[in-house]
Amino acid sequence: MSTTWLPCGTYHQNYAEDQSLWQTKFIKGKMILLFAILFMGIPLFADSYWLSVCNTIGYTILGALGVQLLIGFCGQVTLGHAAFLAVGAYTSTLLILEIPWPQALMDFGIAYPLSIVIAAITAGIVSVIFGLPSARVKGFYLILTTMAAQFIIVDFIITQYVSQIGGRGQAFSIPPEAIKVGPFTIDSDIKVYFMMLTIVILCVTLVVNLLRSRVGRAWVAIRDNDISADVMGINVIKYKLLAFFVAGFIGGLAGAFWISNLAAISPEHFPWFWSLWLVGVILIGGVGSIHGTIFGSIFMVVVMELLQFAVMPLADSYPKLLMDFLFIKEAAFGLAICAFMIFEPNGLSYRWWQIKNYFNLWPFSY
Amino acid sequence: MELFLMTITTGVMVGGIYALVALGWVLIYKCSGVLNLAMGELTLIGAYVSLTFYQMGVPFLLALLLSLIIGFILGILTERIFLDRLIGQPVLTVIMVTVGLSFFFKGIIQLIWGTDTRVFSPSVFPLKPIIIGPLIIGQVYLWSFIAAIILLCIFVCFFKYTRWGLAMQATADDEMAALSLGVSARFVYAAAWAIAFMAAGVGGTLLGNINGLNVSVGYLGLLVLPAVVLGGLNSVPGAIVGGIVIGILQNLSGAYLDRYFPGGVKEVAPFVFMAIFLLFKPHGIWGWERIERV
Repeated sequence: MSTTWLPCGTYHQNYAEDQSLWQTKFIKGKMILLFAILFMGIPLFADSYWLSVCNTIGYTILGALGVQLLIGFCGQVTLGHAAFLAVGAYTSTLLILEIPWPQALMDFGIAYPLSIVIAAITAGIVSVIFGLPSARVKGFYLILTTMAAQFIIVDFIITQYVSQIGGRGQAFSIPPEAIKVGPFTIDSDIKVYFMMLTIVILCVTLVVNLLRSRVGRAWVAIRDNDISADVMGINVIKYKLLAFFVAGFIGGLAGAFWISNLAAISPEHFPWFWSLWLVGVILIGGVGSIHGTIFGSIFMVVVMELLQFAVMPLADSYPKLLMDFLFIKEAAFGLAICAFMIFEPNGLSYRWWQIKNYFNLWPFSY
Repeated sequence: MELFLMTITTGVMVGGIYALVALGWVLIYKCSGVLNLAMGELTLIGAYVSLTFYQMGVPFLLALLLSLIIGFILGILTERIFLDRLIGQPVLTVIMVTVGLSFFFKGIIQLIWGTDTRVFSPSVFPLKPIIIGPLIIGQVYLWSFIAAIILLCIFVCFFKYTRWGLAMQATADDEMAALSLGVSARFVYAAAWAIAFMAAGVGGTLLGNINGLNVSVGYLGLLVLPAVVLGGLNSVPGAIVGGIVIGILQNLSGAYLDRYFPGGVKEVAPFVFMAIFLLFKPHGIWGWERIERV
């Protein structure tokens, strides 16, 4: 990890130490503290409302992680990621609802985890199908084919056809007792929270480690210059499609996880707005940085909640505001993206890096 | 057969409007290299402004003219406030600023005008359809098409014969050379945005006349994206042909495919067609094939 500054007197004595993810005792301590806060602190002190905010943050992180992988590390701009989230969510829901699971599997809570895995793989495969044009087209043309994915999958296939399966009408309601992981029925915010935490940590670890491997280096090479990557012997098409698969996989995971938090899913949960929102999140957090994904998600979700706090008290005197909040949110999001692009094009993670550097180099920070 | 002919004519006429909006898009791209995803919202703004004036009792043509003026001002403001600072930034940054702009505009539009469908009342164009041989054409379509064609001609003349138009052509062709010949690039960018706003405004007004005006008209504005991709991003004739092709395709798929795939075929068909088309011709019909060097 190139951004890690080793303090004086720290030496690497073997290859394993050089390659380790957490290189110093300080970082190890920091991470343990972080885990302690995540697993013990927040569940202890947060009330139901803030837990649900945390869950939204986790969902945003999962969605944005795939987008970050594609845009930030492989250079393939995607504006249709919500489609893959939708594929994951719908696959998982349909598997739970339509397949007559043996009672034993339901009792041991295997059905839902199994459906998550299948949903993630399905979403990955669908993502690869819509990534196929990336073999031929680049830049804006590719952006439009990913946009096409959104309109074709969500607005057409899911709205018109998938929603008809089983004759339930537009929204699929999910019986709460069907969402069961092992012995736990996921029916409260706190359980969703722990599930979210597990999945987010697994996915972030997966992506961080992928990026340190041969695959990740190939992706970065393709991002920086696909022709020179090709010349260096990287199979560009294979790695691009692999990036689409992993991104779709994580997206499907996110969608399949999110149904545990929703009582019912409908195509309105995965609008084009959400695809653009995810891209906005990584741009605000910082392109090409895992930290950025997380910071961006936290920032966007918390800011929108705060906006709600700011607007809601006014709603008593202006009842129209309550209805208009959605529009205000949309306009604020748009303005936030513009402002970030213009004034802070490197994103929040760059600011974080600067602050960290300041303290690492203190008192001689020149 | 009659159905086929009717769909084709309707398609050509709606396509004329798309062509007009697509022209504005291509103009921005050619002059300043900005890939604008806010086109749908630009159509909405123009349409709502002219609708507001029309409801206030202003004659339609005057309302259209007023919306053009407001579009001109808004275009210059947008360029000056948002896009001017982004010259030389990566493509994704600029694209996302236009996405941000589209959200901003959409939020503001919905805040001001709400989400209900509004119609131009009393209707601008007579409701009685015109019958030419076997064809029955709504007057709205016909007049929209004529208006779009007239405006397209005006734009083309503007680029060919006026000083501003020539400056814009020069900048689009080679910015460096244009700068050294004394063309102000900043002026050209602003003019491109102003013209795009105006073109989109007229397109939006015409589209709003056909089926009433609500936020989903912005989606029709988004259809210019497949149109310009089909024609090739940096080709003005490509934009016009692409717009008309998309109009025809949309109506044909609405008429014929709807039986087999009920639902929103009409809305997605242009995108499906575009995605397949790109697989065979990755740069559109007349787009420049950039030779890439490391």
